[in-house]
Amino acid sequence: MFNLFERRLAPLDSPSVVIASTLGSIVLALAIGAFLFIPFGTNPLLAYFSLFESSLGSLRGFGMTLNRAAPLILVALGTCVAWRAGFGFLGFEGCMTIGAAAAAWFALVGVSEDGQGILLPALLFWPAMLAVAFAAGGIWAGSVGVLRTRYGGNEVLISLMMNYVAIFLVQYLVSGPMRASGSLPQTDRFPTESWLATIIPGTRAHAGILIAVGAAFLVWLLISRMRVGFELVVTGLSPLAARYSGIDVGRRYLLAAVGAGGLGALAGLVEVLGTQHRLMDGLSGGLGFIGIVVALLAKLNPLLIVPVALLYAALSVGADALQRSTGVPSSIIFILQSLIVLFVMASDFIRYWRPRLPRFGAAIVQEER
Amino acid sequence: MFDDFAFSAFVVTWLAAGIRLAGPLLLAALGEIYAERSGVLNVGIEGTILLGALGAYLVTYATGSPWLGVFGAVAAGVISNLFLAWMYVTVMANQVVVGVVFNIFALGLASYFYRIVLGTSGNPELIPMIGSISIPGLSDLPILGPILFSQSALFYVSIVIVLIAEFVLLRTRFGLNVRAVGENPRAAANAGISVVGIRYICVLLSGAGAGAAGGYLVLAQIGLFRDTMVVGQGFIALAIVIFGRWRPIYAALAAFAFGATDALQLSLQLFSFDVAPQLLLSLPYVFTVIAVSGLIGKTAQPAALMEPYRDR
Repeated sequence: MFNLFERRLAPLDSPSVVIASTLGSIVLALAIGAFLFIPFGTNPLLAYFSLFESSLGSLRGFGMTLNRAAPLILVALGTCVAWRAGFGFLGFEGCMTIGAAAAAWFALVGVSEDGQGILLPALLFWPAMLAVAFAAGGIWAGSVGVLRTRYGGNEVLISLMMNYVAIFLVQYLVSGPMRASGSLPQTDRFPTESWLATIIPGTRAHAGILIAVGAAFLVWLLISRMRVGFELVVTGLSPLAARYSGIDVGRRYLLAAVGAGGLGALAGLVEVLGTQHRLMDGLSGGLGFIGIVVALLAKLNPLLIVPVALLYAALSVGADALQRSTGVPSSIIFILQSLIVLFVMASDFIRYWRPRLPRFGAAIVQEER
Repeated sequence: MFDDFAFSAFVVTWLAAGIRLAGPLLLAALGEIYAERSGVLNVGIEGTILLGALGAYLVTYATGSPWLGVFGAVAAGVISNLFLAWMYVTVMANQVVVGVVFNIFALGLASYFYRIVLGTSGNPELIPMIGSISIPGLSDLPILGPILFSQSALFYVSIVIVLIAEFVLLRTRFGLNVRAVGENPRAAANAGISVVGIRYICVLLSGAGAGAAGGYLVLAQIGLFRDTMVVGQGFIALAIVIFGRWRPIYAALAAFAFGATDALQLSLQLFSFDVAPQLLLSLPYVFTVIAVSGLIGKTAQPAALMEPYRDR
């Protein structure tokens, strides 16, 4: 390998190369993915078509797509805030779980004893609900930020481990203190007033997508239009330069952690108030990691995250339908999605290295190794 | 509350189960120690364990020999980690990102192939497992015998591997090179060590360890394959590496501690105790958070962990 390739003097950085390598990666991933349909006797082109047909072709499918996209968008936005600031946070599974628990608690408590109507007027209830969940996730992730900035802990590993603590905590809550009577470890069903409202009649689409899109706009505002956001990005690009220019790097990490945790918690809220209407074990189902991948596909750009998440959600709704009708496992979506990201990253190789071709001419510059 | 007999029965079931559960964690952690000591944080071991389990299952299913299955597991781990090593070392991609994405890829791939091979309908077929060996004499010891000396054959192999791993890392030139590359790659390179070569070898070693861990799960614990069977074991192995302070022998002790806490909640349920098992289960993670948080002094994390090496 060391003889076949040599390092470019400067990486290829022009937009056309970046766009071409991204598109190339997607095409390559889809082409490899096409082989996966063959053992099931399905025409890959038809299969790809039907993936989108069942998720975007009908109003009902579109509603499901929106519902699946909402938590993904929120987790991806959290990834964007944290990773742009150089804070390698992986704790979104935990944040979702904690946010869901907080939302569940508030949904059950914020309602009067007889279950008739909400204690707080709706105008207050929803802001309070969002604040409670955001704060819970923010404190949860913020503690990781404190450990990093105060004591120099490794945030990647700490946040990974905290996922399990959160999951066990909620397992404990639903099998002990918050358990409803019945055989399953879960809470009571929330009063209907605390459910996220249906926004498209005739579908299951709920208001979660509105929260997610609103959050995307706010994160965009933060990162590209506000001073604090600029400081976050500078911190991520070069902590030393940031410190030299007078930015309190530790504070920015902390802010990134709290923001990421809060957004992750909102994803949990959307899941629990929009879809499940009760708190139970195993709610995040890997969304905390898939959201990270969505963010990477969108190049950590808050506005790009929305369409990418919608696309992914559409694929995954379509894959579920495809599994029901043809038996092709829906896990194909995991393969496609991760292949695209891996290929996009691997295409950096082409940007930094070029094939070593025999060159004719007088002076061949020998690079020192 | 207990008479002596019931108590010793409790202890024996508990610790024997603890050691059984510790086996895969231990193998995965040993490989990860080498990767991290050379400066690569391989988060992809979670997925590698799953692929190793799949490899072990398929090979054993096809050949009927569980020992060939172990080879299948290790091969699956090494081959998949060759790709990871290329991404980590040559492409110099962000190690955490590559690992996280690879885990999702492995999950998809494993459940896909499992579906293909076994069809959608049938119950998963059991495969022959690697039996347990009672060491003559020692296994008759009271309490210790059934805990330590009548385990799966893979367990004894793992113990030998722990000792070899410790010796190689701390007492050989190769181990010194690994540690040098993980602490200060530039200095190591100036001393004539191939940073790229060492890191490739170490990531492949972690692939072998994680693959073997998957094989252990299938061949010594469960006897079948499920795409949900690994959930979290790779991340636990990451915790064990930290808890064991990047030393194979300490990591072995940490693995047994994790296995024992896991087994404790099973045993307590078996003996109908009323403790919230989740609180017990979360203890190892809480301890790990404390261990990496820097609250109790600096941990000996390799200085160049997660930093790609550019040779010019």
